[in-house]
Amino acid sequence: MAMPDVTERPRPAPGTPPLVQLRGIAKYFPGVVANQDVDLEVRPGEIHALLGENGAGKSTLMNILTGIYQPDAGEIIIDGYLKSFASPVEAIAAGIGMVHQHFKLVRAFTVAENIHLGWSETPRRISAQELEARTAQLSASLNLAVRPDARVDELSTGEQQRVEILRVLARNARVLILDEPTAVLTPSEARELFKALKEFVARGNAVIFISHKLDEVLEISDRITVLRGGRKVATEPTSACNEKMLAKLMVGHEIVLDDLRARGPNAIAKSNEPVVSLREVTARDSTGHTVLNKVSLEIAGGEILGIAGVAGNGQKELSELLTGMRAASSGQIMLGGRDVSAASAGDFVDFGVGHIPEDRLRSGLAPALSVTDNAVIREYDRAPVSLGPWYRPRAAAALARRIAEAAAVMVPNYSMPIRNLSGGNQQRFVARREMRIATKLLVAAYPSRGLDVGAINTMMRYFVELRDAGVGIVVISEELEELLNLSDRIAVMFHGEIMGIVDSAGADIEQIGLMMGGQRAATPVRAAAMVH
Amino acid sequence: MAIRLQRLPSASPAVALAARAIAILLALVTAGLLLAASGAQPLKLAQQVLKSTFGSGFGLEDVGLLVTPLILTGLSVAVALRIGAWNIGAEGQFYAGAFAATGVALFIPGPSIVMLPLMFIAGALGGLIWILVPTLARAYADVSELITTLLLNFVATLLVYYVATGPWLDPGGHALATTARLKHDMPEFIGIVHWGFPMAILLAVITAATFSFTRWGYEVRIAGSNPQAAKYAGMPFRRHLIVVMLLSGAIAGIAGMLEVAGTVHRLQGGISNNFGYLGIMVAVLARGSCIGVIAGAALMAVILNSGIILQTQGVNTSTVLAITGLILFFTAVGDELAHFRIVSSKPAEA
Ligand SMILES: Nc1ncnc2c1ncn2[C@@H]1O[C@H](COP(=O)(O)OP(=O)(O)OP(=O)(O)O)[C@@H](O)[C@H]1O
Ligand SMILES: [Mg+2]
Repeated sequence: MAMPDVTERPRPAPGTPPLVQLRGIAKYFPGVVANQDVDLEVRPGEIHALLGENGAGKSTLMNILTGIYQPDAGEIIIDGYLKSFASPVEAIAAGIGMVHQHFKLVRAFTVAENIHLGWSETPRRISAQELEARTAQLSASLNLAVRPDARVDELSTGEQQRVEILRVLARNARVLILDEPTAVLTPSEARELFKALKEFVARGNAVIFISHKLDEVLEISDRITVLRGGRKVATEPTSACNEKMLAKLMVGHEIVLDDLRARGPNAIAKSNEPVVSLREVTARDSTGHTVLNKVSLEIAGGEILGIAGVAGNGQKELSELLTGMRAASSGQIMLGGRDVSAASAGDFVDFGVGHIPEDRLRSGLAPALSVTDNAVIREYDRAPVSLGPWYRPRAAAALARRIAEAAAVMVPNYSMPIRNLSGGNQQRFVARREMRIATKLLVAAYPSRGLDVGAINTMMRYFVELRDAGVGIVVISEELEELLNLSDRIAVMFHGEIMGIVDSAGADIEQIGLMMGGQRAATPVRAAAMVH
Repeated sequence: MAIRLQRLPSASPAVALAARAIAILLALVTAGLLLAASGAQPLKLAQQVLKSTFGSGFGLEDVGLLVTPLILTGLSVAVALRIGAWNIGAEGQFYAGAFAATGVALFIPGPSIVMLPLMFIAGALGGLIWILVPTLARAYADVSELITTLLLNFVATLLVYYVATGPWLDPGGHALATTARLKHDMPEFIGIVHWGFPMAILLAVITAATFSFTRWGYEVRIAGSNPQAAKYAGMPFRRHLIVVMLLSGAIAGIAGMLEVAGTVHRLQGGISNNFGYLGIMVAVLARGSCIGVIAGAALMAVILNSGIILQTQGVNTSTVLAITGLILFFTAVGDELAHFRIVSSKPAEA
């Protein structure tokens, strides 16, 4: 983790007013204090990181700054002038733009159309070619590479994010707010983003950067503000910070990282029979492209198998295959000795397979429905939530309460839509719900995305408990370090194939890196994995 | 101290109710001013409407007759909304149900005690068949039901016109463009209000309870809110879509059957009185709630009935239509405004 090179940055002349000043901001939701007495100052030329636990009020604070919410108390001062924004349109007119964690692009439109949508400077009548030319020009002048004629739904997540950023910068934003931008990026995409951000602030602008990844916060930011329970607890120059003290500031006490690979004294040993095995499984997407090519894998009960690889190399498809959401076009899937190649997602649930999906909001939850409705999505068909054909709302609410308590999520009202929970809390909720039903296998795709350090640690401990209880666990992640700490073996994916499987103990990181780039494992490792 | 408006994601029920009451009042005041401007005497008219509607049992019975089909067509639209489908075709399914029930009544001999249940089933089946093609097209080819259901309305309307003036024309020749009077009448419940009225209410209650208290209802709720989540949970989205849409069609068909068997007693063109389209408004007024449909239908029935009374008082049809539109427009605005609250934000003590 390189320390930032602060000396190189242009320092604003003394006496320059801060670009943004928040004073005494408070925001209350029924039963929740989301923000209270928050002061924040963002200076020209700085990248200001905003840290805090899940539900600490980071997104709410930024939604206030961009006019999505109105503060219940406090003032917003921009360039020294008191302002109030009734909507994001007014905020962007004052030079403040935000890229949300869940992108708001129109998926059926092209990049050029999205950039020009709802923009006062878009000419009334303009041809597609002209739109694209204007977009290309913007893209060149702001140094953010996009493909103007591509449709948004063909873009990778990193590309979509660049379009979102371009959309904001094109409107002459001077303060760019990014809410957990790197949660969905590959490491190389993240590096590109950081480069663009540094160039942006070098022109005297500012960035507010929300992230749970302390290493990248330390790498890129100039100052750090920490929120806890809706209140500001500190603002420090980054050069005076380190990971340990930040973690302590966020949660209020030190976080002890456990040794995860070690098994407890009462742990059930790794089973000899695999819970799941894939034999030469091939899968295609709707257009007939091969997304998984002859994948063979075995996962034993009581083991954690890590899946490493750059996102988009078949991990998502593999997780869908392992949970019955996608059918294989050839090959065989065995679950506890039964052939389930043709089984449905419901059958997998009945068999004891839990699934923390990659895109929780889109597939794991119905965001508009209540917390209770979302809590019972896995257990609604059995007692106590239902008796025969009858659904029992009170039993459902009781189950929801149990899950929320186990997940340590504060829910003021169980009939409010689940999208009112903070991003990280939605995630904890899903994870806890899935662990309840995972009696044989848990498939977790990017489980730590969006979680704060404490929550990641807690989640890993839960995984270990499940493993020690004899459950097989598949963890898909881009964080190699996390996989090495947690899993017993690591399979590396590239272009829909498994390049090889290595034991985590004594694994060679460089070799895994090469496999992630498409090199096959040396024969002995591969053989060991196949024979297993 | 600054005063601001803040939009809440969901309005509190009390505020929503108050907003509606105020909206209707304002709409009536506006309508009154317009009527006064055109030379009528709005207060006298209002008095007349109130007296005719609530002053006697007969007025209420008239409303009761109107409310029955409105509950059912509103319910039909609300049910389809549960799975995320817009049934714009309740009108056509209403005709199809009326047509099927009439066919059974005309061509199958039997005592009323047997024939009425048969007609009921025929009505439901007629509505169901009328929505079958749009349903399958949506389920298997992802063709928007919005357009297909709408187009079939015109087909159904023309079909009923054709049979009522052609093949099924009253052989007795008493009427010009209708079938013969049906031999089987829905028995009366209170006054001229037939048993269809309590049946419609019961159906709404049963449907609401089914959605709230059965596993199936829960699955439909999830599937209608996020089909991806349904897939994730292993729920059969397509099957639910088909069942719910067919149910929606059947309910509108029942409305048509009750209208012929209970109120009109003949099949004739225009028998639907636009109940199918009004059902969309009822469902929207009820915000898709199956129980709320009863209240929405009641409001709509009172408006329609007042319109009829105004016409007898010499106010022309387009004015009546305009007043109806005003009320609906004001309620929609009121619903939206109920989401806002006024906040005063205090500056921080520096
Ligand atoms: N619209 C809303 N209605 C009710 N409560 C809300 C709403 N929006 C946010 N909250 C609550 O406010 C608190 C702060 O949420 P916020 O989204 O700001 O957290 P966050 O710091 O962004 O967390 P995370 O890291 O998990 O994204 C949470 O307890 C959340 O449940
Ligand atoms: Mg957040």
